[in-house]
Amino acid sequence: MRIRRLLITASGVLLLSSMIWAQAGAKPAAGQSLSVAASSASADSLLKGGPAAWNQIAVKRVALNRTPPLYDTDEPATLEIPSVDVRIARAGGKLLVQLSWRDPTHDAITLAEVSNTPPETRFRKVQTEADDRFFDAAAVMIPSRSGSGAIAPSLQMGDAEHPVEIYYWNATRGAMLMQAQGRGTTRRTGQDFPANSAYQNGQWNVIFELPDLPVGTTVAFAVWNGSQKDRDGRKYFSVWQVLE
Amino acid sequence: MSKHQYAMVMDLNKCLGCQTCTIACKKLWTDRDGTGYMYWNNVETSPGLGYPRQWDRIGGGWKDGSLQPSPLPTMDDYGHAWEYNYEQRLYEGKKQPVMPSPEPKSGCNWDEDVGGMNEDENYFFYLPRICNHCTHPACLEACPRKAIYKREEDGIVVIDQDRCQGYRYCIKACPYKKIYFNEVTGRSEKCIFCYPRLEKGEVNACAAQCPGRLRFVGLLDNPESPVHKLVLVHKVALPLFPEKGTQPNVFYVPPFNPPKRENYGKSIQDDPRVPLDYLIYLFGPDVKDVITRLEAELKKTQEGGRSEALQLLIGRDAETRFHIRPQFVQIQL
Repeated sequence: MRIRRLLITASGVLLLSSMIWAQAGAKPAAGQSLSVAASSASADSLLKGGPAAWNQIAVKRVALNRTPPLYDTDEPATLEIPSVDVRIARAGGKLLVQLSWRDPTHDAITLAEVSNTPPETRFRKVQTEADDRFFDAAAVMIPSRSGSGAIAPSLQMGDAEHPVEIYYWNATRGAMLMQAQGRGTTRRTGQDFPANSAYQNGQWNVIFELPDLPVGTTVAFAVWNGSQKDRDGRKYFSVWQVLE
Repeated sequence: MSKHQYAMVMDLNKCLGCQTCTIACKKLWTDRDGTGYMYWNNVETSPGLGYPRQWDRIGGGWKDGSLQPSPLPTMDDYGHAWEYNYEQRLYEGKKQPVMPSPEPKSGCNWDEDVGGMNEDENYFFYLPRICNHCTHPACLEACPRKAIYKREEDGIVVIDQDRCQGYRYCIKACPYKKIYFNEVTGRSEKCIFCYPRLEKGEVNACAAQCPGRLRFVGLLDNPESPVHKLVLVHKVALPLFPEKGTQPNVFYVPPFNPPKRENYGKSIQDDPRVPLDYLIYLFGPDVKDVITRLEAELKKTQEGGRSEALQLLIGRDAETRFHIRPQFVQIQL
């Protein structure tokens, strides 16, 4: 009886500690470090150079987790994308992050260009082709205030004391910078950032150009699979990693 | 909880299915990129497929305090917007006939005037639909970005286009399927109850244009307003699908006339042309009381008396039908 109670307590502590760690204010564990390669290439050549430009840069496979069902009304989802390969290079005063992951379904379209002429003066309008498709996407999350030491913001889009910046890329809609201070607070800043993407042989390669970040900065990654109706918190996510 | 609540009453006995409301709304609000397929106001033949198809059976709304699951309707359910090849015919000298493209296969009034059969007799009526601006909106609850809010001053439910990220949980949650996704903007849109008009003292475009004069607009909580009188005093108007739990603020005077052919003088409840079960399906069991009440009012006038409820429902002029309170608009310098 006592042993069982002890076991329950121990597992409770474990669960609680992992929950606290996911919430806020915890130190990422060892093994969650990411090395940053110093590259002599220009930021632009890494952004647009294709796979060859990245061959020399060490890759780290980062495990992805699937968010639990957030709403009772959600369809179930499976862990189809178990990991993302991350390469990071510092070049020309920028930090370039390449995310590569396997996704057999290419969920992206090219939206028709919308004319600047007011729609009411135009003979034809661009029409909604489908209302029920979602697109592949990925994101890099960093604390808004760098150099905040060992305290990482909550993994759930930061928290009130620890706002985060989210560099969000969508296979159809492109790159946009977002900010958040906790779940449900994510907002668009109206700014974008340089990004480049390619889909080949069932694999996405997406390069994000971030401002340079100091050693010790925490970063986290997320991947959305459009064909699985991923959007919002319905996604794959990594735990915080630390830049070396 | 909002301080006041704008509401609309539509008298289904007066709707002639002319779609003037639909066009008024479309020209004013959804004549933009990405909005071709969407009709914030639509009029469907009831019984019928509805718009989007089978919306009444898809899902959403509340049950025992929980949101109910629902798939997203597809474009085939709404009907793709089509364009005509006027350019080729009129300007490029091509001899083809003017044709729509893509080929229309469904639409917002695809099965117009088909209706249903009650034994050997056909029946239908028109059901105009807008967002219900519910007191307990499922869409608002479903939005993880808190992009949907209910205006405190008048209870109108709107989607903040700056916050909306196009997740479409709201479309799934709405049991009336009255929110539409604009793929061009990547945001969801819906009827805004013409709040910019109301703020200037003008009634909603759909109500202003209605030749059948079947729409009544005002604050539900204002005893002077026609909607207050029809819903709460005369008790002749009911919300659609009350069991969905969202507490709509659009109410319908159910069709209560006529009885079947060659049965003049009989009560609709003795020999209804529109099966009572169907009306109960749409408006809940209270519809029987409403029909009884309306028939009693009708009888009163036929015997030379005067019915306040029917006088109001005639809605002779705009002053009778609409009770709009221009709002003080704060100008921030």
